Amino acid sequence: MEKKLIIFVSLIGASFAMLILAVSIPKGILFAPFKILIVLIAAILDIAALSSRYYLYIIQPIAQQRKRYIVLSDENPYHLSPTGDSILRKEGEEYIAMAYVSIPVYRSASEMSPEEKVAFATQISLLTTILKNPVRYSTEMYVMNKDNYIATLRDAVDKAEDEQVKLTQAKAEGKKVERVRGQLTMWRNMLEAVSSSPSFELVTYASVSAKGYKEYEAVASVQQRAGELIAGIGSVLGVTPVVVTGEDLLKFVEPEYLIPYSTISEEINENLMKEGGF
Amino acid sequence: MDEEGLIYFAMCGVFVFLLIIFSSSFGGVTGIICLMIAVFALIGLCMMNWADFILFPFLTSIFNVTFQPAKGYRIPPKQDAIVKNVGGLFYATGFLTASLLAYTFKEEGVQDNEDQQLMNAPERWERAIAALNFAFKFHVLSAGRDVQKVREEIEGKRSYQEFQLSRAQQNTGTTDTVITEINRKINVIQSRMDRISRGEKPIAALMYMETTAFGVSEKAALDALGGQMRQLQVAFSSFDISLQRIVGRELYMLFKFNFMLPTTLEEMSTSFDSQG
Repeated sequence: MEKKLIIFVSLIGASFAMLILAVSIPKGILFAPFKILIVLIAAILDIAALSSRYYLYIIQPIAQQRKRYIVLSDENPYHLSPTGDSILRKEGEEYIAMAYVSIPVYRSASEMSPEEKVAFATQISLLTTILKNPVRYSTEMYVMNKDNYIATLRDAVDKAEDEQVKLTQAKAEGKKVERVRGQLTMWRNMLEAVSSSPSFELVTYASVSAKGYKEYEAVASVQQRAGELIAGIGSVLGVTPVVVTGEDLLKFVEPEYLIPYSTISEEINENLMKEGGF
Repeated sequence: MDEEGLIYFAMCGVFVFLLIIFSSSFGGVTGIICLMIAVFALIGLCMMNWADFILFPFLTSIFNVTFQPAKGYRIPPKQDAIVKNVGGLFYATGFLTASLLAYTFKEEGVQDNEDQQLMNAPERWERAIAALNFAFKFHVLSAGRDVQKVREEIEGKRSYQEFQLSRAQQNTGTTDTVITEINRKINVIQSRMDRISRGEKPIAALMYMETTAFGVSEKAALDALGGQMRQLQVAFSSFDISLQRIVGRELYMLFKFNFMLPTTLEEMSTSFDSQG
């Protein structure tokens, strides 16, 4: 029997047993408080039985931990498959693999004729009927990772500053110093412009899951579904979707890849300065 | 409510029914108190069944209970966001219901402006996105339904409406408005039948939005998230859809959807029935 059902039957059974116990207690002022207490416990068990349908994941840890900080899971929410094309999560005895398929759609409504717009909307509705199994289609706007670009600009600023110091110490010609100063201003302006506000990128992707009792079973199964999905999307939209692999998967899953830290650090500093009244 | 939910509710309801009967036999003050417990139990059951997304966050807020759904993540007592701390920077993620069914699919209603609505949808969508300057995701989770089952379901509905129509026509006191309304319903059902006959597959779909905000403290991240949620509601208000913040167990479900999706339609449909 399913665990959820066992717990429900146990709780509802206990509530009925308590009710029978309350009925069997003889009448009288001495027994009345016991009777009321038993009825109250039975009612709580009855509500708990109904709650167990959806809240089993919480009821059990609450009963075991009895704290205000309840740990539902202390494990990483997922891990990457050895093949790097799926993410895996263990649920009970089974593994659930999930694959992400990138859909390269670069069409804009402003470039479409009225008929094309209707056709596009129809294509989107057709997409959802490709697989019988649940498929999630997503559009994600994320902050572009400009870390490398910013690092290059910072290096250029440092280099220009060093050069300026050297030239000033060596009492070099005014023209040379002016040129380096100009370069430094240019790099600084560029760094400020790039890091002051985040740039966004819009991507469309589909995701699908499959189960298996072994990791490789789940991965093979989900990759097969991803293959079917790719074929379907390709024929509906006329594009070439690909399975997302490796680190690229993380921007669909982890918030720190959705909004990269170093790219937004300047914005955070600015906000702090504003809050601090500097 | 699905079949399973009905069975759960009925079983628990039987308990309350028996409690009411027995309370009357207890007599006196004990009987009155037990009857009150029965009434509270009934209210509790109804709340748990239809408004658990209000009750559950309310209780966790009162008792200040925080959950850790996975390593590195936490759900604050209000149950309206998932927070992750990455090296001292907090990322708060929240979800909104956003059913754009009428814009992405041929609507069930037989409307004159259906094509016009579909034609405007891509442009409206782009305009809404252009107004946003933060990270967000829009998800459509869809699953195919059994064609034969859906066909039988629709045929049943049509037969019922046709029966209603014939009864209304026989009844002399029926107004034209009632007959027109029944005819409209039959047309809607017929258009669904026609679509299935043309080869269109029936689907079940779930749509929602997800946005992430950051801050140097959890409170800052949650405040920023609240702001982003409001901006999303404003940006997509032109679509005339319900954009409600998702809280409680459904938030936990949606959080898990980034790592594992339901693999069958049954799993998908039993996860959601309160919000959205």
